[in-house]
Amino acid sequence: MDELSDAAGVPMSAITNAPQSGTAERAERLARAWRLWITAGPGLFWIVLFLVLPSMILLAIGFFSIGNYGNPHLPLTLTPIREVAGYSILGWSPANITTILRSLLQAVSAAGLTILLAYPVVFFIIAQPPALRPLLLLFVILPSWTNQVVRTYAWMELLGPGSALSHLAQTLGLLPPHLGLMPGLLAMQIGLTYNYLPYMVVPLYAAAEKLDWSLVEAGRDLYASGARLFWSAVFPQTLPGLLSGIILVAIPAFGDYVVPTLLGGGKSMMIGALIAAQFLQTPNWPYGAALTIFMLIFTCAGLLVFRVMSKRLGSSEGSML
Amino acid sequence: MSSRLAPPIRRALLLSSMPVYLLLYAPLALIAIFSFAPAPGGQAASLHWYGALWHEPDVLAALRRSVMLALGSSIFGTGLGTLMGFGLSRFRSRARSGFAAAIPSLIIYTPIIMPSLVFGIADLIFFNLLHKATGLFAAGLLTMGIAHVTFQAPYVALVVFARMSGLDPNLFEASHDLYANGWQSFFHLTVPVIRPAIIGGFLLAFTLSIDDFTISYFTAGPGSTTLPIYIYSAVARKGVAPDINALATLMIATVIGTGLLQYLFTRQKERRPMPRAGD
Repeated sequence: MDELSDAAGVPMSAITNAPQSGTAERAERLARAWRLWITAGPGLFWIVLFLVLPSMILLAIGFFSIGNYGNPHLPLTLTPIREVAGYSILGWSPANITTILRSLLQAVSAAGLTILLAYPVVFFIIAQPPALRPLLLLFVILPSWTNQVVRTYAWMELLGPGSALSHLAQTLGLLPPHLGLMPGLLAMQIGLTYNYLPYMVVPLYAAAEKLDWSLVEAGRDLYASGARLFWSAVFPQTLPGLLSGIILVAIPAFGDYVVPTLLGGGKSMMIGALIAAQFLQTPNWPYGAALTIFMLIFTCAGLLVFRVMSKRLGSSEGSML
Repeated sequence: MSSRLAPPIRRALLLSSMPVYLLLYAPLALIAIFSFAPAPGGQAASLHWYGALWHEPDVLAALRRSVMLALGSSIFGTGLGTLMGFGLSRFRSRARSGFAAAIPSLIIYTPIIMPSLVFGIADLIFFNLLHKATGLFAAGLLTMGIAHVTFQAPYVALVVFARMSGLDPNLFEASHDLYANGWQSFFHLTVPVIRPAIIGGFLLAFTLSIDDFTISYFTAGPGSTTLPIYIYSAVARKGVAPDINALATLMIATVIGTGLLQYLFTRQKERRPMPRAGD
């Protein structure tokens, strides 16, 4: 009974007057449900109205024909989906598939590069006295608190045609004169790696902080080499953090909009910029929506793999609410 | 733990992680250095471009809009989010499991998981259709604010939920025994007890809003340029420019300064800094 009227809404009498225990139980359940609705309801309703519903509309538009102004029009058709796969009036072209594959590749290699950069940093931090660690971690994260547009702009400055790095590349014969390292694939890759590095460091650090060092010591007693120790005793323990890091880097990098538009240039389009162009420049909503469907499929597939794998690894991260 | 690694390994770790720290700060430092570029016709380093910013009405208007949008949306988002976190923590029946019981969590995580580009475009279309149908919801600060509340509320809910799960349920029963009714108990007991989480959630909501570019960009109207949108449009139009360097330097200095201050004043073991979604 104490549980019943402890926090919100229903007057005491409604519950205390319940004659039988069965009815009382029912009343309790109803009271709880009612309170849940008046507290969590408005927020949940807000999200459904302003995000879930709009996303469904967006996905549905992917099955409409294109009207005169690029707007969706009846009848329903699979043309936009076929367009994404590369079929148009002019026949098949690989341009879209290339863009999607390029985005996947950029996302995966950004994740790979952040892994390479994150491991030394994480273990450097772990090797310091505990009092110093939060500060060192903060210094990795601070740049990510600045605006993404500003962070990306910084690389335009560093890689642009007149920059020192571009001069160096020209002198080494890696780059034709008067061109910059930006725009292009390399610049995009650097921008994505830079933007998302902290998202790899933080979960890896969380995993490394809980490391069971007795395993490492046991291995050392058995005269295992340094590399062997890392692979067999340390690396498996950091796997849950690594997995979270890959998801946190690869998914936003795949759909990033700022980096490809500022650093990528016209020749190295990524899916995010391609989608945005269908709504902002040449309006073709159904085609843009069909591209979005593909993007969400990849995102969901990534999350699903993550869930299955982290369950197998026995970590319960992310299941808090 | 520090003694568990042999000195050569520690030296190797130091040598391999210093370049990473350098990589993280070199681009930001470079912007700051270039922001002191000489005035047109001059030779020496100067504060000219900072002065130029001050006389740029567009920049000041964009700054004002950013702050207004962040304040308004955070107040609303914190309210909705606090109620959500509180309600889900207190009143969701734990007995039931399965798909139906997971629906609230699914909804709350949607704005967090959804790629910001899809988020922004979905709202762009939705508000566009809504505007055509009703004449209301013209793209502008209102639509941006609605979108911001949508991504702020879940984060606030998570912060409040985490705080609630650390509380003793007996607390609420005690308040019941003192004959406080539901709302009295909420305002006199729950709110004071979870105040740190509410304040933390509000600050998080505020920074999320100030920082957001992609979702704002797609829900913005002609007269609602915020600071990140202003920089993006200027950069996309004319590339690297000294006045943008000065503006960016001010933004970087503000963020890093606030971050360090926050760290100095709230040095608790449990507080671990988190990266923020910058887009």
